[in-house]
Amino acid sequence: MRWLDRMVEGSARSLAKRTSRRSMVGFLGALLVGAAATPLLPVARGATADPKAKKVDDPTSCDYWRHCAIDGYLCGCCGGTQDTCPPGTQMSAVTWVGTCHNPLDGKDYVISYNDCCGKSTCGRCMCNRNERDTPLYIPFQSNDYNWCSGNGKANVPYHCSTARIVAVAK
Amino acid sequence: MSKVGMLLLACLSAASASAADAPKVVTLPQPTPPHYIWVNDFVFPHMVSGKALLVDGDAGRFVGELDTGFGSMRVVPSLDGRVIYSPETYFSRGTRGERTDVISLYDPAHLSFISEIQIPPKRSSNLPMMANAQLTDDGRFLLVYNFNPGQSITVVDTQTRKFVGEIESSGCALIYPTGNRTFFSICADGALLNTVIDDTGKVKSSERTADPVFDVEHDPVTEKGVRVGDTWYFVSFSGMIYPVEAGSKLQPTWSLLSADEKAAKWRPGGLQQLAVHTGLNRLYSIMHQGELDTHKDPGREVWVYDLAKRARIQKISMQHDSGSIQVSRDAHPLMFSIFIDSNVLDIYDATSGKFLRSVTDIGTTPTVLVSP
Repeated sequence: MRWLDRMVEGSARSLAKRTSRRSMVGFLGALLVGAAATPLLPVARGATADPKAKKVDDPTSCDYWRHCAIDGYLCGCCGGTQDTCPPGTQMSAVTWVGTCHNPLDGKDYVISYNDCCGKSTCGRCMCNRNERDTPLYIPFQSNDYNWCSGNGKANVPYHCSTARIVAVAK
Repeated sequence: MSKVGMLLLACLSAASASAADAPKVVTLPQPTPPHYIWVNDFVFPHMVSGKALLVDGDAGRFVGELDTGFGSMRVVPSLDGRVIYSPETYFSRGTRGERTDVISLYDPAHLSFISEIQIPPKRSSNLPMMANAQLTDDGRFLLVYNFNPGQSITVVDTQTRKFVGEIESSGCALIYPTGNRTFFSICADGALLNTVIDDTGKVKSSERTADPVFDVEHDPVTEKGVRVGDTWYFVSFSGMIYPVEAGSKLQPTWSLLSADEKAAKWRPGGLQQLAVHTGLNRLYSIMHQGELDTHKDPGREVWVYDLAKRARIQKISMQHDSGSIQVSRDAHPLMFSIFIDSNVLDIYDATSGKFLRSVTDIGTTPTVLVSP
């Protein structure tokens, strides 16, 4: 954790100087992911779905609204769901975040794309969308990293990706 | 066996010896011809079995492969062409057990394993980039980017073939060499971290630019920079070229696009979206039409620029979607193109832009292309 603490401290300080509040919401979302084991907000529900929309309400579809910045295999197709890992895998403690618009309730949400780790790649429902995705030098908003890296018991084998709500974006 | 039987067997053996193929294994021409290309394969559906595939661009022929372990990054040929370095990750029990990271050394004539150098088990696992692993300009030190998710750089001495140490690069990523003992990394706020090492590979100085060099908030550059001489060329999501000279001196920026092309939403995209040819002083960029968030999308055109004039001189129509391009270094260069979601390697004359040939069934999820 020494490396992580130092990196997070340094990155947060420099980002606070250089980037907008919206970016900071995303960054803080990443920190929250490390601290929280369960989603902070319930899944949005109750809004009217647009019948013309693509499969924005199907967690096994790449068009699912939470998948706006995902890059990997959808855990919903791999024995898990959009916010739970398949059996026998481990959820990464830290990860990247995106901000996705939910057309079902009209709100923007900070989404945490925790990877599930410890087994060979799932290989089902590959999905790559890059809304607000950043290059590798801005790690916590980049979907090109394998976030199983450094994971306690499953250091690096990547299986699939979840899309957990962590906050309403403001 | 009867005498007659023994005689028959002897006759058959003599006959088959003259007609049969002797058991033998191919040896490759050395040095590796300049029109060969390494296609690095991440093998995303089966990440434990990464590969690097060698193709002869002139003959359109698959030549051979290296098996490069979990989350295969990219091979790094030595400057003298006598060794191929490959940063690799393995587990003692397939996908579980102890993780071991190594630099594997391979013989380019036989594509065979020579030896390995153990490095800290923290090599970054990410969609492969050229800047994940680089040699210093004299080829002495191999530098490997680490992410776990702390950031640092592993230094390996290729002369002694030993791990030298680890250089902290907190908040800054990847490796862009600028000399025999100097390189920079890009920081999250767009500043650059300039690192100087000594002749033993230990850090001598590490200094971050006072101000950001890149505008990460409004129009970030991708990490897929290419180099001609002392200048690294980065391209932003909107198609602005940022030339950075050694010492982090930003030269005047310029755009790949005219106003009309911007309005028509042309932009660069792809995994290895830029290539250069030093002799021709040309820059090649994969282009497509799309919104801002399509910065990783493949393109059906490659636009070619004269770097001295900062002007486009050619458009090349691509046979298939192109996500990665590379141009060979020789005087009659080839341009290679592939896409991670396909496995057809297309080959062009890099000077005229003429399509020459395709090679099919090259890997599973091919990523970056490396010239030998």
